[in-house]
Amino acid sequence: MANSQINSFILYLKIRAKAYIYKTRHPSFGCGVWSPMLKIRFHGRGGQGVKTSSRILGRAAFLDGFVAQDSPIYGAERRGAPVISFTRISKTPITERGFIFDPDIVIVMDETLLNDWLARPLDGVKKGGAVFVNAQPGFPPPEGHDDKFFITYDLTGRALEILGKPIISSPSAAAAAKITGLITKSSVLEATADELAELDLKDELLEKNIQLAAEVYDAIPSPVINTEESGSITREISPLDYEPVTYEEVIHLDIANLGNSALRRTGNWRIFKPVVDPEKCTGCMVCIIYCPDSCITLNENNKAVIDYDNCKGCMICLRECPLRAISSVREVRVYA
Amino acid sequence: MSETRFKTLRDVPLEEYLAPGNPLCAGCGATPVLRMFLKALEGRAVFVNAAGCFTLLHVYPYTPFKSSWMYTAFASAPAGAQGIRDALDILIEKGKIQPEEDIKVVCFTGDGAAYDIGLQSTSGAIERGLDFYYLVYDNEAYSNTGFQKSGATPYAASTATTLPTKLQREGHTGSKKDLFEIWRSHKPPYVATIAPSHIVDMLRKIESASKYRGPKLFISFTPCPTGWYHDTSESIRISKLAVECGVWPLKEAIYGEVKHTYTPRVLKPVEEYLKTQGRYKHLFHPQRQEHVIKAIQENIYQYWRRVAETEKLDIIIPSV
Ligand code: SF4
Ligand code: SF4
Ligand code: SF4
Repeated sequence: MANSQINSFILYLKIRAKAYIYKTRHPSFGCGVWSPMLKIRFHGRGGQGVKTSSRILGRAAFLDGFVAQDSPIYGAERRGAPVISFTRISKTPITERGFIFDPDIVIVMDETLLNDWLARPLDGVKKGGAVFVNAQPGFPPPEGHDDKFFITYDLTGRALEILGKPIISSPSAAAAAKITGLITKSSVLEATADELAELDLKDELLEKNIQLAAEVYDAIPSPVINTEESGSITREISPLDYEPVTYEEVIHLDIANLGNSALRRTGNWRIFKPVVDPEKCTGCMVCIIYCPDSCITLNENNKAVIDYDNCKGCMICLRECPLRAISSVREVRVYA
Repeated sequence: MSETRFKTLRDVPLEEYLAPGNPLCAGCGATPVLRMFLKALEGRAVFVNAAGCFTLLHVYPYTPFKSSWMYTAFASAPAGAQGIRDALDILIEKGKIQPEEDIKVVCFTGDGAAYDIGLQSTSGAIERGLDFYYLVYDNEAYSNTGFQKSGATPYAASTATTLPTKLQREGHTGSKKDLFEIWRSHKPPYVATIAPSHIVDMLRKIESASKYRGPKLFISFTPCPTGWYHDTSESIRISKLAVECGVWPLKEAIYGEVKHTYTPRVLKPVEEYLKTQGRYKHLFHPQRQEHVIKAIQENIYQYWRRVAETEKLDIIIPSV
């Protein structure tokens, strides 16, 4: 046999082996028929590469011989706002479409989303499934989800070190691929290269992405996903029982819910936070004038003060401060 | 621009009329302009917003405004403004509100509405002499829907619909419409270009426009980190560069008479500006497209040579 044939044969065996493991782990998989599918939902923020993650995963699954489907969903909102995307992986044609309400695996690409009442990334994750959170080591497992595997990895931290940018499409896809226990490393790397090449990335950045994806794939455990009630969609439109903002708070009877957008707390969008050094700040107001989001004021000592509830971390203030009184600090805190 | 409230950045009013927490992109170049507009008008404005990125400012039930807002379809912001203006005038006439309680009517739209879809309704409004302000945040494409080319997209920019290909390596092959001139040809009381980096210039222009009754039109340079592919922190720096390289001339026209309000003494090479943005990356990578860069540069020099001559400006323009 030629070399490539051997390789593909080995690959075939690997897939068979993994598929077998998956079958035995997965009670509802039936006798050799891959009817149920694996559903993965990615939650991130615009600009992190959420859509690309689901694409890489879908392509990797396809390269490994599965049927795959991926699609993103984003509202009318912008960079920094919550974005979701989906990948379905199956052995047989996929007829299901649209939103995944009952994922086997959820990839949370920004830990602050866990507390976002609009994004609600953990909704509907199946018992026995897996929750991956991009967070620093020691990040506490979310409450009420003990029946799922909980995995963390500091993707953003590593992306910043390796790529120099907080874009985590390739490592998120690699994490998801590993967690499925189905997709081979070589396929993930190939899919990463293919998808990113389509985005016209420079070679150097492409290589770094592949390096990062490989690292994450190796580092992440492959838990035994054992999801119950798979196949049947238990779709429950739950009422908002924990709204942090009540209607009365938001709407006043006159048309005067004026300037209430501060309640949205766009501070969660940040990855870095600007910090003013009061020793250096002369109160020149340059940062106040250029901050697009009206987040800076002067305090009684004539020093700039930043509203961290809403600052989106664009760092225009840092860039424009003539005295270099503002520095940027990596932030990992979860906002309420 | 003789007497003005605005001489230095110190004169920028501290009162804030735009609340934080809007869902626009971090580092958006349009929001600082809107903030300043509100400051200059002391918040006494009703906004008419055509479809575009700013649609998102007001996602129910949240609003960053402390004043009223009306949303219209792409083409009809000036029509909306006309209705509001008429209503206000009637209320004043009937004595239901006092003239000093009057508020300004401000349209703000993106370049898609201003340069393309709403061009005719704006033309109509200018022709009718509607007393309103119009602020375009010109980020040179339809960025609300994924950055497709608009009439404002400059030559050689890459957008979702003008991607550089093997056949058309320079990206967009057409050139940017000159909206300033289109509007100026109607001879409205006031047209100006502004930039978020040049705040004092902007505030003065809004102040001096306010003296006139009739259409007061502003075109704002708007760095868009999302569509232009630059870091969010760079928006203001890029705006400064656009002015310094002569890409975005700051000017005004009062009843059609043009005057440049800021003249860079030496024009910086346009390359410095182009290199800041991913939408021009293909001009430098993988191969440098010298003839394209040169064409862009020559265009800018030509413009400024003409201006230097007609306005007798002291400006150093290298010959290519
Ligand atoms: S720009 Fe710098 S020095 Fe000026 S007020 Fe802001 S932080 Fe202080
Ligand atoms: S980073 Fe600075 S300029 Fe940007 S939103 Fe925060 S405070 Fe404003
Ligand atoms: S897409 Fe561009 S113009 Fe629109 S909100 Fe984002 S940065 Fe601003």
